[in-house]
Formats: sequence, C-alpha cells, structure tokens
Amino acid sequence: MKRYGEHRFPGKLFVVEGIDGSGKSTQLLLLHQWLQAEGYGVVFSEWNSSPLVRETTKRGKKKQMLTPATFSLIHATDFADRMEHNILPLLKAGAVVLCDRYIYTAFARDVVRGMGPQWVRELYSFAVKPTGAFYFRVPLGVAMKRILDGRRGVKFYEAGMDLGLSEDPEESFAIFQGRILDEYEKMVPEFDLTTVDATLPIEEQQTHMRQIVKAKLAQAKRLRVAP
Amino acid sequence: MRETYGAILPGMNLAEMTGKLIVVEGTDGVGRSTQIKLLRPWLEQQGRAVLDTAIKRSELAGNGIQQAQEGHTLGRITLSLFYATDFADRLEHEIVPALRAGFVVLTDRYIYSLMARAIVRGADATWVRNAYSFALKPDAIFYLRIGVDDLIPRVVFSRGFDYWESGMDIHPSEDMYDSFRKYQTELLAEFDNLAKEFNFEVIDATPDLRTVFEGLRAGIARVLSGEPREPLFSVTPSPSAEAPEAASKKVVEMPATGKPAASSEDETQPVAQALARAAEGDATR
Repeated sequence: MKRYGEHRFPGKLFVVEGIDGSGKSTQLLLLHQWLQAEGYGVVFSEWNSSPLVRETTKRGKKKQMLTPATFSLIHATDFADRMEHNILPLLKAGAVVLCDRYIYTAFARDVVRGMGPQWVRELYSFAVKPTGAFYFRVPLGVAMKRILDGRRGVKFYEAGMDLGLSEDPEESFAIFQGRILDEYEKMVPEFDLTTVDATLPIEEQQTHMRQIVKAKLAQAKRLRVAP
Repeated sequence: MRETYGAILPGMNLAEMTGKLIVVEGTDGVGRSTQIKLLRPWLEQQGRAVLDTAIKRSELAGNGIQQAQEGHTLGRITLSLFYATDFADRLEHEIVPALRAGFVVLTDRYIYSLMARAIVRGADATWVRNAYSFALKPDAIFYLRIGVDDLIPRVVFSRGFDYWESGMDIHPSEDMYDSFRKYQTELLAEFDNLAKEFNFEVIDATPDLRTVFEGLRAGIARVLSGEPREPLFSVTPSPSAEAPEAASKKVVEMPATGKPAASSEDETQPVAQALARAAEGDATR
C-alpha cells in the first residue's frame, strides 16, 4: 500500500476545498473549461462510488443511524472506492484529474464531530497527495448568505444536527460551518494548501488559480487530446 | 475501566461496562461458529445473558458487504474500510450496550481477522492498526489454531472452497485448492504474528469438537470467575498440527503466559477463589 506522498504517476491531481458557499465548485468548473480548451486530457472526478457503498451511506443518513465513527468510516469507504476505481486509474493513465472536495473535507468534518485528528489523517493515508490543493477562504457570514439565499434548506448531517448544537437547523449549520472553518485554517500550513481569497471577483480568483495550475503543468508531459 | 487500543470514540464512556467481552478467533472453517453455538446455551444455563455477534451482521453495512462480495466489485482498501464500518456499527450499537447491561458478549471473530485479511492483501500494518484502534480490548481472545494441512480436509468435507476464503482475489491464476492453501498459509502466519502482539490464548483446534469445546469452556469459566490467566491453560499445538514450515514453528514458543512461574500458583489460589466467590455473588444478584 502506497501512502500519501509516495505515489508517482504521470497524471496530475488538483483539488478544491472550502466550506459550502465558498464558490469552489464554480472555480473548478471554470478551470475545467480552460484546461479542456488548452487541450489537456482533463477529467472531472465524479463521485460515482459503487452503488453498494452509496446505498449504505444514503440509508445511514436517511435513518439517522450514523455516529461520528460510522459517519467517518462510511465516507472513508466511499472515498476509497473513488480512489481505487476512479482517481488512481486516471492518474496512471496520465490524465489531469480535478476533484471537488478531497480528504481535507473529511479531516475538517470528522474532527469537528469529535474524531481524533491523527486517527482520521492515518485513515486516509492511502490517498494520493494532490499536485495542487486550493482552499477557498471565505468569512462565515458571506458563505451563509450565499447558501441560504440559494437553496431550500440544509440537510440533517450537513447542518451538523447530529451534534446537538442547536434545535434550529440554520443556527446549527452556522455553528457547525464555523468550526469547520477553524479546522481548515489549521490545515493550510499543515498540508500546504494554496489559499484563494473567495471574496474577490470570480475572474480574479480564476486568473490566480490558472497561473498556479499552469506552472505545475509546465513540468508535466503535455497530454493533448485529439479534438 | 475498559480500555481501547488507542483511539476513544466520541461519546464512548469506558466506565461501567460490567459485562465480559470474549472473542473467539480463528481462520475460515476452523469451527468458530459451531463452538459459539455450543457455548451460548452453556452460558445461559448458568444464568448468564449472552449476546453473540459476528462480522457482517451490522444493520448499517452488513448487507452491503454481503452484496459486494457476491459481485466482487470493491477494491481492497474499500472493502477493508467497509468492514471497519460494519465493525464500528456493531461495536457502538450492539457490543457496548450489551456490556453496559452486564451481558457476556461472545464475538465470532473481532478486529484481528479483519486485520489479518487486510494485511495479507497488502494493506499497511500501521494503517490497519490505526483504523481499528478504537476497538475495546476484550477480556479474553481465544484463538482456535490449526495448521493448513488439518484445515483443508475440514473445509473440503463440509462446505467446500469459497472464493474469498481461498483468497481467489489475490491468487486468481490458481485453482481453488492451490489458492486456498497459499492464502490460508499466509493468513495463518499473520494470525500467529497477531497472537503474539495481542496476547491471544491459543487453543489447539485439531482435536475433536468436544475437546476444543472443553478447552474453551474452561477458559471462559476462568474469565467469568475473574481468575487471572494461568500459564497452564494455554494449549501448545499438538505435534500433528505442526506444519514443517518455519512460519508455524515459531508459535510453539508462544504459549501465552500471563505470568511465568507455576510455583506462584499456590499463593494466588486463595485470592482467585475469593474472586470467584465474589463474581458468583455478582451473578446471582
């Protein structure tokens, strides 16, 4: 079993991280478009885990039968499936792989739920170290406003309702996301995450991101896909 | 106060788990479940409430793993983590509540089988130990030990070779027999490593059912009475069980000794009896 940082593949892996409402998915989408236009063999890693694992996760959430431990483990199972069946083969084949959320999401979420930071890190030590990991830093208030304007409501686990922080889903969500934010801040130096100021105009953030990606791809074998 | 192997899960209160956690470990086809079927009524006759549990029986993940095995669709790390999920669910929802209620929890395999299987399939030793470090330390781990030569006829003349028990996922080019032999040899060697590390009480599983049952019964009676582990109890595998390979040889020197000298036995006897009486008082309360 190769551990974090030990894999050597021709492919490149870029991931985006940040709390909901940080705008990371939008930025990844724009990056995807650009890389495609540039002619790279780029693949957006879909979270299409095996139906079995997905079914179990869904059932556990729906029936609210997950504890912090089983929440953590079932998501690690799901992630491992994605790693073994999707990300690894793509990287071996030399693709540029893009992921919306990666192991750092799990580190933040699980630690806020009370799992040991070292335990969770070791649990995910089979993951490939990304070529570049972007963290979209946004103040909680800004993110909250973006989310609550745009959607119908937050789900039970998403709001951290299992932690009993508040009876009110929105309030629970705010407290929970605030704690997640604290965990992300700790991880910036630990994992050398590239921070992006997510309050800047979208185009500015994208320019910043493209510069960094371009520099990392420069040393790489340029895998062009026939148009 | 109970202990874990390192990590403590959120909300896990280690105090007041008055029950006993007894593990029966051993490889595929060695007769674990048969023994547990015999042990349960024996314990119940003595007025002990028993919970028996086994791998893949969790409400959360049991069914998913079963289906995954039938389709052979999951990767090795994925399957390993799926098992860990199943284990955590059973630990939190079955084992811990039963221990709190004062039950004897008899578990058909525990984390050790899961660790051995993962390691044989190339998982990192540190990774595996970390993943299961939240497990409660059992009161006793009885390991039904058998050599591969004695194991094969049992499997052939009962249920036959199974895909996973033959490790066909890691030795796919071989026929079931060769694959089974190779895989089980590796697995048994790994069990022997774990036996040392986790201080298993080894029971020779080569004799007949009755003899093995008596061995287990004596061991469990001792655990329930609160007596300390006696060096006398650990059964060294009989010479017939001994495969010529070096891998299995090292185990002979491994009898799990709680304390060394037989001479100290006399001194501890009254204490042990007092403990036993105290435990009986507990049970009748």
